[in-house]
Amino acid sequence: MSAPAITKPGAAVNGPPRKDRLRAGDTKPAWLFLAPFALFYVLFLIWPTVYMVIASFFNTSIVQEGFGSFTGFGNYQEMLTRPEFWSAMWHTLQFTLYTTPPLVVLSFVFAILANRVRRGQALFRLAFFVPFILPSAAIALIWNFIYTPASGLLAVVQGWFGVEAPSPVLGTPSIAMIGIAITTVWWTIGFNFILYLAGLQDIPRELYEAAALDGASPWQQIRWITIPMLSRTTTLVILLQIIASLKIFDQVYLMTGGGPGISTEVALGLITTSAFTDFRVGAASAASVLLFIVIVIIAVLRQLIDRAQERRA
Amino acid sequence: MATTGTSSSPRRTGISAAAPPPRRVADSSKNSTRAFNVVCGVVLGVFAILWLIPSFWAIKTSLTPNSVSAVGAEEILRYGGLTFEPYANILRGGAIWDWYLASFFTSVVTTLLTVVTASMSGYALSRLQFRGRNLVFLLMLAGIMIPSQVLVVPIFQMLDAVSLLNTYWAVILPQVPYVIAVFVFKQFFDGLPKELEESARIDGAGFWRIYRSIIMPLSKPVISAMAILTFVNVWNNLLLPLFVVANPELMTIPVGLATVQGSFGQRYSDIQASSILGALPLVILFLLFQRRIVEGVAGTGLKG
Amino acid sequence: MAGVAGTQLAPGTVTFWNLFGGGDGARLQLMLEEYEQQHGGSDALQAATFAWGNPYYTKVSLATLGDKPPDVAVAHATRATNLARAGLLTEITDEMLASVGLSSADFTPKVWESTVMDGKAYAVPLDTHPFVLFYNKAVCRDAGLLDANDELVPIQGTEQWEAALTAAKEVTGAYGASVATVSETATPWRFFQTLYSQRNGSTPFLSDGGTELTFDEALVADTLAYMQSLTASGLMPQATDYAGSQTLMFTGQSAFYLQGEWEITTAQSVEGLEFGMVPVPTLFDQPACQADSHAFVLPTMERSPEQLELAMGFVKSMLDQSLAWAEGGHVPAYLPALRSPEYAAMEPQSDYAEAADYAVYDAPAWYSGSGSNFENIVGAQIGLVMQGIASPEEAIASMRSQLGTYARTADPLS
Repeated sequence: MSAPAITKPGAAVNGPPRKDRLRAGDTKPAWLFLAPFALFYVLFLIWPTVYMVIASFFNTSIVQEGFGSFTGFGNYQEMLTRPEFWSAMWHTLQFTLYTTPPLVVLSFVFAILANRVRRGQALFRLAFFVPFILPSAAIALIWNFIYTPASGLLAVVQGWFGVEAPSPVLGTPSIAMIGIAITTVWWTIGFNFILYLAGLQDIPRELYEAAALDGASPWQQIRWITIPMLSRTTTLVILLQIIASLKIFDQVYLMTGGGPGISTEVALGLITTSAFTDFRVGAASAASVLLFIVIVIIAVLRQLIDRAQERRA
Repeated sequence: MATTGTSSSPRRTGISAAAPPPRRVADSSKNSTRAFNVVCGVVLGVFAILWLIPSFWAIKTSLTPNSVSAVGAEEILRYGGLTFEPYANILRGGAIWDWYLASFFTSVVTTLLTVVTASMSGYALSRLQFRGRNLVFLLMLAGIMIPSQVLVVPIFQMLDAVSLLNTYWAVILPQVPYVIAVFVFKQFFDGLPKELEESARIDGAGFWRIYRSIIMPLSKPVISAMAILTFVNVWNNLLLPLFVVANPELMTIPVGLATVQGSFGQRYSDIQASSILGALPLVILFLLFQRRIVEGVAGTGLKG
Repeated sequence: MAGVAGTQLAPGTVTFWNLFGGGDGARLQLMLEEYEQQHGGSDALQAATFAWGNPYYTKVSLATLGDKPPDVAVAHATRATNLARAGLLTEITDEMLASVGLSSADFTPKVWESTVMDGKAYAVPLDTHPFVLFYNKAVCRDAGLLDANDELVPIQGTEQWEAALTAAKEVTGAYGASVATVSETATPWRFFQTLYSQRNGSTPFLSDGGTELTFDEALVADTLAYMQSLTASGLMPQATDYAGSQTLMFTGQSAFYLQGEWEITTAQSVEGLEFGMVPVPTLFDQPACQADSHAFVLPTMERSPEQLELAMGFVKSMLDQSLAWAEGGHVPAYLPALRSPEYAAMEPQSDYAEAADYAVYDAPAWYSGSGSNFENIVGAQIGLVMQGIASPEEAIASMRSQLGTYARTADPLS
């Protein structure tokens, strides 16, 4: 099946231990083996989660000792009634809507094309995949320069096509997020590209051969074999993209700083600003909890869809 | 930190972008198929070139004097010369050596800690029977879903409480629990034959010796895949080091690059040179371990 | 392995963080080199420059919380008091000042007072940087706005201002004056605060440490409406960014340009540009202009007497170079420099030095000060008004709603 490496959870999530391997004496060494990782797990995943929840009910400040005064649901009430919070959530959604379709469609097309071409594989991987493993900061420096108002590469190319005085991409509220989205598509398409390529490997060649014998054109083969066979990968790619989009921070921080005004501010930007600029750990924690819940819901959804597809397969 | 996949089958090593197109097809459609494939190649080639433009633009700019790049894109295009001055500026400036050191140290130490602790846990889950195993399993599964980026504020508070802010440890320790690695290791171990271990057990070997001298030596592919992934993740992380490290001499590459823009002003060539120097180690890593990286990414969902 | 075992610098090295980019950065570099020369080479100093505004103050705060702050940092006076209230700054005592031959009497009283909190000083001021009016001499000459000495004829009141702009517009064919309205929050705020503060009955924007919004709504609306009328009538551009507003004046498409005095360095670098600088004219009832001060602060940390001496020595060295700094437009806060004949002879710097006397600082609040959330919120709305995108009433409503969140929030600093 498609992207087997990721979507074959059955192997990892196998059920209760088989009786024949049960040995009573294993318990102590087992915990010793688990202890080092468990220590990091509890310290840096579980405890921060607990701390976040607790702090969200207090006026915790970064520059004050302890949790500060109790405020009940005050921080949540503030966030949920605050226009900036909703605007940050909206921008996060906006980013998802702008990036997901091109990332899915383009990577799908690239993978199908690459799968049919015998030469130039190294070039394709270099072009599409390498940006994905580079630091966001390097990507942002490259694209900020391309977007430089008036004298940047984009403005000059726009000039060649007769666009007089184009609006500065990152300086115009209505299009700044599009600029960030384009950069993101360029940066991360390699990930989906690789997933789709892996999915293509799993389609039995016999299917194509049989179709070809029946006189199916290449296009018909793609339409009736490839696309349906890759539907699981597509679901996976979309869900991973949504989860990654909810956690967007780097590109916005590096390219617009949330601006102009707050027109590209996203959830993690609001959280870090509340905590590290306003010193309001309590308020930031409440916003974190809300974002946390949204992400976990989608992550659980992803697991459920995965299982359902696994059963159907 | 970036854990969005669930599990992987590390034994599948056949992921290669170069899948030969169907070969034995009916003669009648052979020609149209060939023509179609050529069109595919051309279209993809155009996209590939389009995709390479930003990188080439950065390289071209970095080989142009600051005085030229300050004027604008057209001037850069027109400039026919070649200068390494921007690279010299960055390397001589010194800050980038601090960033390299910080990035290498934090990435290597995190990778070591992650690979050792995650493989030990994976081994316990794969081979040992104990009470609470199911609970541990569930907790680990839950751990995959925890978005660690969202925890940056409480993690900052914790590190502050134990006076670890502004040290490499502040960057290293929170990134060690890469939960997905545990599953990847477990699954790989599940696939190893048990005979060797059983004979070792009969000879009186303990679990630790089996893990160290039988399991680990057999697991080189999965170890290297996980090591590279962790390394890339830690190297590229911006969010955590941005806030837990404030001093310029402790900054990692991404944080350093992020702060460069503000203080470099109009020195565009220097900025592009710094960006390329910051990306270079990963490009080299990619060229050396292409297959492992591609497999690892496809296998675990590095995206985060 | 600095990050593992703690930073080890050669003893005698001063670490210094600042937020000076552009022309300020270049000028500072010269001053730092001077310090290094006097103190035995480049080992004497380790300086780092960050992008100004919130990111800078975040770095300073987090470094101090993480016990690795720089020995000395630059802060705006309006931000220094907040850093001090958060417990991030060392008090500057009389003894510390005396150890390098300084006393509080060496500074402009108004500026010194702006850094004092509960009777304790937390910063050593370097300058005042008022919002001023640049003018293109060639354009103004043609428009008949200069006197016999080639200086701008003083402008008083809105009528004269509009007349001058109209005359200038006829010469330039484009605009009379320009000010940044796009991709900017600080500049629109500075322009607004200057005009608003000139009016009788203007109240501080915030009071009680920011818990109350106390601006005079009618007066704010009227001032915004006036600013909008200037752009709507075409005397000033509706949409231009920081660099664009400069270019308009530099290239003679506008006679006047409103910005902080530090842009003198940029203006001087424009070939063939003849320009002058004066305080923003009093369009309303009293002279006033928005301003802030750069100051040196000592972040909280364990310091040996030697380290303290080094830090103060560095501050003193910078103050001693106040005249070099003043070349970059800033009005010195250090009286020996401000009162020196050299400064009096500096043109056009001394022409607007008086603006420092009626400078208006941002109202104190934990979320206000230069480059703060307050300026970002209010400035963004003012920019929209000047662009003609929002009405004054809409802008005020949006400011109220956004600032309200902060005003209702318990002060996280104390």
